Amino acid sequence: MSPKHNGTWVIVLSFLLAYLLAIVPFPEWAMYYRPQWVALVLIYWIMALPYRIGIGAAWMVGLFTDILEGSLLGIHALTFSVLAYITLSLHQRLRLFSYLQQSGIVLALVGLVMTGTYWIKVVSGQTAPGGMQFLLGALSSAFVWPWLFLLLRQLRRGFDVH
Amino acid sequence: MAFVALALSVMFADNRYDYLDRVRFSVGYFTTPVYWLADTPARVSAWFDDVFVSQRDLLEENASLRQQLLFAQRELQLLAGLASENSRLRELQEASQAVQGRVMTAEIINVSNDPGVRRVLINRGANHGVTEGQALLDAHGLMGQVEEVLPFTSWILLITDSRHGTPVQVNRNGERAIARGSRGEAPGLELEFVPITADIEEGDLLVSSGLGQRFPKDYPVAQVVSVVHDPGQPFAIIRARPLAQMDRTRHVMLVIPDDETITSAPVIFEAGEQTNLPPTAEPVISEPVAAEADGPAGVSP
Repeated sequence: MSPKHNGTWVIVLSFLLAYLLAIVPFPEWAMYYRPQWVALVLIYWIMALPYRIGIGAAWMVGLFTDILEGSLLGIHALTFSVLAYITLSLHQRLRLFSYLQQSGIVLALVGLVMTGTYWIKVVSGQTAPGGMQFLLGALSSAFVWPWLFLLLRQLRRGFDVH
Repeated sequence: MAFVALALSVMFADNRYDYLDRVRFSVGYFTTPVYWLADTPARVSAWFDDVFVSQRDLLEENASLRQQLLFAQRELQLLAGLASENSRLRELQEASQAVQGRVMTAEIINVSNDPGVRRVLINRGANHGVTEGQALLDAHGLMGQVEEVLPFTSWILLITDSRHGTPVQVNRNGERAIARGSRGEAPGLELEFVPITADIEEGDLLVSSGLGQRFPKDYPVAQVVSVVHDPGQPFAIIRARPLAQMDRTRHVMLVIPDDETITSAPVIFEAGEQTNLPPTAEPVISEPVAAEADGPAGVSP
């Protein structure tokens, strides 16, 4: 039996790439369509390795997101913890779902995260209240989910992360 | 549950008190490499542009730049005369010298990924001597001010953010107002609390008035694009287009403040605050101007 945990660097690298994709500058019109890469990667790892990536890890990932974006510390920590909790309680079912069903769940989860983040930001005066367009990001997240899922699964199997 | 409570307490602490700013600042050492990596594609393409360029293009560019320099120098000569005349007139009036200030060049390396916020990241930070509240310019006009300083980078709040108010005056007649970032989709500015009788027309140039002592005086800010006098509204609805090329330029300048300039954290409007509040309730940055705009149309000497 190989060591108990394996391939931490794959997980760290995937999150690093997600952070990069999250802050790469987009043109003005495409801003709303940016998928929530960090949340997606987080959902995948919780689903695949629920015994390694849990609420605590999600909290740290969220805190780093806050620091990176310069937003109020704790917003993403809070929403990602909630996301992790829901994903943990769903992960058995999620694994059996087809890609389309998974995308639907991802749409709901990311939409929840984005709504929570948006509400806190508006209440604390961090962003200007606007329309519902901020939820377009959840739609694009659901759209890229199947491809991201396949890619991360290949990575996980290739490097034997467990 | 514990994590939710922890997150809530961190949020509260960060919102109300200052001591987490030091944490933010230190962690800035870790976030800088990520932004550096994210900026790599832009730098690589700039490098390609620099390396793979034909000699003919360079010569052409060189010629046109020389011509521009010639024109600029000619205008500068005229300006020198004007400046001395101006300072003599100021001496006659015993008015203080206009704040000019030196500048430090910087590059925009990232923009905020939240569509509701207009902030950019520049590649100058505390290690280069950046302080909170410094003004940022590009070649065409005022862009914003430093909101958060990190070790090697800093966040700039642009003047088009809906939480930002810029004290301006009309270049033609000295009419003063507050230009606030518009809440709509298109990035622009709105003049707040301007009485219907104010003499502001389409095409007027707005320059920074220097009131609030945050932005240097007389830098171009915006051009008025529309003036609407709605009889049902107490104030005129005036929209302006910022002159700085917010989303196209990469090279910007930070104004290094003189000793007399106040530097502290920018005063942020509450995002939920509506324009129909009485102007006296405005934060410090706009107080003198808001009071002025509320009264009869005051034309400054």
